[in-house]
Amino acid sequence: MDKLAENSSDWLKHESAFSHVTGQAVFIDDIAEPSGILYGQVVFSPVASGRILRLDCEQARKTPGVHAIISSKDIPGENQMGPVIHDEPCLADSELSFIGQAVCLIAAETPEAGRKASSQIIFETESYEPVLDIRTAIAKKSFFGPERVILRGDPEKMFENCQNVIQGELETGAQEHWYLETHASLCIPGENDEMTVFSSSQHPSETQAVVAEVLGISRNLVTVDVKRMGGAFGGKETQANHIAAWAALLAKATNRPVKIRFTRDEDQKYTGKRHPFLGKYKAGFDDNGKLLATIIHLFSDGGAATDLSWAILERALFHVDNAYYIPNILVTGQVCRTNLPSNTAFRGFGGPQGMAVTEYILDTIARKLGKDPTEVRHLNFYSSGECAYTHYGKEVVNNRLPLIYEKIMVSSDYLARRKKIDDFNRQHEFIKKGIALTPVKFGISFTTSFLNQAGALVHIYQDGTVNVNHGGTEMGQGLHTKMKHIASKEFGISANYVRIEATSTGKVPNTSATAASSGSDLNGMAISIAINKLKERLALVASDVLNETTGFKIEPVSLHFVNNQVIWKENPDISISFKSLIKTAYLKQVSLSATGYYRTPGIHWDREKGRGNPFYYFAFGMAVSEVELDVLTGYTHLTRTDIINDVGNSLNPEIDLGQVRGGFIQGLGWITTEDIKHDNKGNLLNYSPDTYKIPVIADIPEVFNVELLETEPNPGTIHGSKAVGEPPFMLSLSAWMAIRDAVSAVAGPGREIKLGIPATNEKIQLCLEELKSENKNTQK
Amino acid sequence: MSLQNSTVRFLLNNTPFEVDLSNHADFQPTTTILNFLRSRHGYKGVKEGCAEGDCGACTVVVAVPDGHKKLKYRAINSCLVFLPWLHGKQLITVESLARGQNLHPVQQLLVDHYGSQCGFCTPGIVMSLFELFKSRQEPTRDNAIRALSGNLCRCTGYQPILEVAIKTLESNHEDHFSENEKMVLDSLLSIQNQSLSIKSGKQTYLKPSGLKEALQLRFSRPDAVIASGATDIAVRQSKKFEFLPEILDISGIDELKFFTEDDDGWTIGSGMPIEDLWQLSVDKIPMFDEVFRVFASHQIRNLATLGGNIASASPIGDTLPVLMALNAAVELENIKGRRTLPVEQFITAYRQTAMLLDEIIRSVYIPKPPANSLFRFYKVSKRKELDISTVSLAAMLDLSKENKINKVILTYGGMADRPARALKTEKWLSGKLWTPEIVKEASLLLASDFSPISDARSGKEARNIFARNLLMKLFVETNEIAVNNG
Repeated sequence: MDKLAENSSDWLKHESAFSHVTGQAVFIDDIAEPSGILYGQVVFSPVASGRILRLDCEQARKTPGVHAIISSKDIPGENQMGPVIHDEPCLADSELSFIGQAVCLIAAETPEAGRKASSQIIFETESYEPVLDIRTAIAKKSFFGPERVILRGDPEKMFENCQNVIQGELETGAQEHWYLETHASLCIPGENDEMTVFSSSQHPSETQAVVAEVLGISRNLVTVDVKRMGGAFGGKETQANHIAAWAALLAKATNRPVKIRFTRDEDQKYTGKRHPFLGKYKAGFDDNGKLLATIIHLFSDGGAATDLSWAILERALFHVDNAYYIPNILVTGQVCRTNLPSNTAFRGFGGPQGMAVTEYILDTIARKLGKDPTEVRHLNFYSSGECAYTHYGKEVVNNRLPLIYEKIMVSSDYLARRKKIDDFNRQHEFIKKGIALTPVKFGISFTTSFLNQAGALVHIYQDGTVNVNHGGTEMGQGLHTKMKHIASKEFGISANYVRIEATSTGKVPNTSATAASSGSDLNGMAISIAINKLKERLALVASDVLNETTGFKIEPVSLHFVNNQVIWKENPDISISFKSLIKTAYLKQVSLSATGYYRTPGIHWDREKGRGNPFYYFAFGMAVSEVELDVLTGYTHLTRTDIINDVGNSLNPEIDLGQVRGGFIQGLGWITTEDIKHDNKGNLLNYSPDTYKIPVIADIPEVFNVELLETEPNPGTIHGSKAVGEPPFMLSLSAWMAIRDAVSAVAGPGREIKLGIPATNEKIQLCLEELKSENKNTQK
Repeated sequence: MSLQNSTVRFLLNNTPFEVDLSNHADFQPTTTILNFLRSRHGYKGVKEGCAEGDCGACTVVVAVPDGHKKLKYRAINSCLVFLPWLHGKQLITVESLARGQNLHPVQQLLVDHYGSQCGFCTPGIVMSLFELFKSRQEPTRDNAIRALSGNLCRCTGYQPILEVAIKTLESNHEDHFSENEKMVLDSLLSIQNQSLSIKSGKQTYLKPSGLKEALQLRFSRPDAVIASGATDIAVRQSKKFEFLPEILDISGIDELKFFTEDDDGWTIGSGMPIEDLWQLSVDKIPMFDEVFRVFASHQIRNLATLGGNIASASPIGDTLPVLMALNAAVELENIKGRRTLPVEQFITAYRQTAMLLDEIIRSVYIPKPPANSLFRFYKVSKRKELDISTVSLAAMLDLSKENKINKVILTYGGMADRPARALKTEKWLSGKLWTPEIVKEASLLLASDFSPISDARSGKEARNIFARNLLMKLFVETNEIAVNNG
């Protein structure tokens, strides 16, 4: 019996689970070190804004074990690593624009020698007053500009006719990715300028491009290999390039393998975070709470370089509506330039920051009108006709909001609990509870339209086993598991026959980042296309063989790939095993390798007009969260969360549930405990898990009900599935709103709750104090 | 007794392992277990996530003889432990759990429940689960959470891991380690608990096996850094890359690991790991359950000792306010003898103590509190588990039948350069009635006791508010009792 052919009807386990639990899974720092390896040490700028006056490495060079120290003048290629806009020097030339900017690089035989050399470098700088936050940047007009605008209707005019108008501001904070595996890269120089790069990168093609550019060599000399990442979440979409480029420069300079691995402190201090945002809003609404007009100005903190800030800002503009129809709306967006490490992609990619503003507005409206915020949210959901169109002109089709709402109101027992909580709050002074429902509508596709393309390369070997290469990277999200599932289903063979290769630029070129939740959609399609090419070839072979042996006239199209066989649909007894078919195909000189290429159809975006179809479809979800608040300590904890998330026809329900839970809890961290502070010089204060607090196991909701929406397949996607990576992150806004609900129980009806993100216990406590002192003042 | 032994002997999984650390080419005495393992072929399962004991990716399990009949398994942060600490122990790594393709039950559960995503934290989680598997505790959510409080995962949202942990507790606890236990035990017992004296380059590492010897060494080497659980000291090496020239490791001294009770009070050996102390004291010493519940993580509690927590004299150390409110005393010892100081006097300034350069902490004595006195411990931190306090309050309250305050002790952490009593507030409260109005007024007085600072954890304004509110919390909770009792 062929062991590989054992077929299991169950869903696949995580493709790397066995390697994970046995400790065999290889991450960059686990790769067997090549002989002659050197360790790279980066020397960082100690000032946030300034200039290099003197950089003297002579003494440092004499440190035993040091093989090279290089600075900007030693870069053979272009001193640039900006992914979109070339505004990010690989090593600082003269100008210093954030603490942690790389100034020079050391290659040494041990990490200790590198650190020692680093301390021997004479580095004198002149420093200027840094810009460290959005408000200062606005005051100083420190923008990347020009501003982005989307407008529908005439909100200004509408305000004049509105029964109610509110205005205010909302700040949302930065967030450190805190992937467990810090940034790392191992570069091995080969012959004739070749460079093999092992990188913990979400975007091997861009890492390849940046390495080639700084080395001044062509891209075909650089191969980037990504087996897996120990988490990424957007933090390794562009910024893995840096580490790879630095290691490559040192490898080139020494002609030896060089590895750079950031310590946790380095990683936290010197790499970008989720963009902090400031939203300034004005909103008009009727007495029922129906939104009639909003003007929202969004400002993001881009840090010192552009990185992906514009795409992130645009996604914020696209998602400022979240799930709500707003007839008259103006949204503007500007990226502020500050003296912090360039902020970067992070799960949700501006979506959470945009949505938060409108969720804040709706909550404020509900409190002003004395209504349940859930009722006000429901009233404003996208519906049909005119009310199905977003502010940028895309119709919300296959709208699952009403269906999910109906289901979750029942499954979460919302109304009864709302009443219970209100009763509880009347009876308790020092403990308050809060509950909230928030929806998510998230656009799927890269908003930079041309990025929506993917490739795959599928090989079948003579023993019938299959090797699948695709452009996506595995960072834990289960992409390879899903791709394996797709390949096995398409070929009709056991998953054991299929292996997903490490992602390599040598196998699939010109790929897009594994980002924007698009990994399965794009790469799944590309794999399916490649496999269908192979199946066409194989069906010809099979029909020949079967015709010969049976005497029937079997058309290739009437053959079916299933159960490790190719069978004739009209008579399933007539079949050939996949394995022997492959052998035959080889002997008949048929190519057993094919590429697949896919591009998402119909995506376009006109930035000037602010109109277009930037998304292939929307993913939907909804959450109801309940919190308990200790009024004396500001401490909150989730007692229950119910989630229903729409993933179309799931490619693997447990993997998808894992994405939903993981995204929600990561969002919960952003909402509650993950607080980023800098001192007035621009030093990050919370640079280790000692003071930067991501959720631990005790922080998850006591009752955590997560389900996938059972609905029709998503049209036009691989196996009817939907993207799942990012949307659940924003379900955590329900926890924020529930906290605000609990605070509101202290404040009393009609009060605005000025509580942004993160709602740390300290900020909650200060908010409560303010509300209390306002209460006292009004009593007087 | 000879002090020339520089060879550390332990079991690396099931294989006896010896390493002479005297001028060793690859390892120093302060090489952490994490770095030791990762430098060896075939042991890269263990991961460095933070190098400070805050993430658990480096979790390994050590087994030590628990008497002469069985082994005790402890999950620890391998990034916080120096190699000599392993002497006489079995180091169990993730590689040894599966046998070929047959996964250990906890590994199989993780696979089946999709408990790994990126997989980087997974080896550490596997090892925490393995210790839990061996612990034979009740299968409760609380026990499961406690065992995993020191393991960060950024991918899964923990739910599947929690389910696995509960199922782990429900399992039969039998595995191939059970089969080998006798052999391992014999092997470990054959390694003498001998003293180690290691000189490596400019570094000297001394690990005495007895108290007397430790005191001698303390006397002759007053500059040596004392390491007990080393969870604080090790960070200086593991992530700050500080060179520690002289280390006096007192973790091997069994005479410092005791917990005794008499009619008047409890005496706790300074070398008692917090986790052991918690189990022994849970129904006895007021506030210990509350404070240990929020004391670091399970892995750190397995290493950290009460003596170490006191000696580090941190203004935000968890146990100090509690000990002060309990009127505890520190017993110090040197070669000449012993002396006792109230904890309050022991802490003299920011991270400074009254311990002389030839002394070590022998024990802590806690007098039994008068009947009817009430105790409460509160800790405000950003995150409830595995976090350092922003502000904490340990309080003792003695109320008369008429609800009059006979005596009150309010010890705050995080409000000054050291844990400190709110003496002015205490004095003002003394003799007054325990009513909301009085407490409110008293809470305003705290400003005259403390002027806290702003730092990465919190702002001073918030600290003042928390301090006031904790007093109110004390009132709310004790008043409920008073009302219920009345």
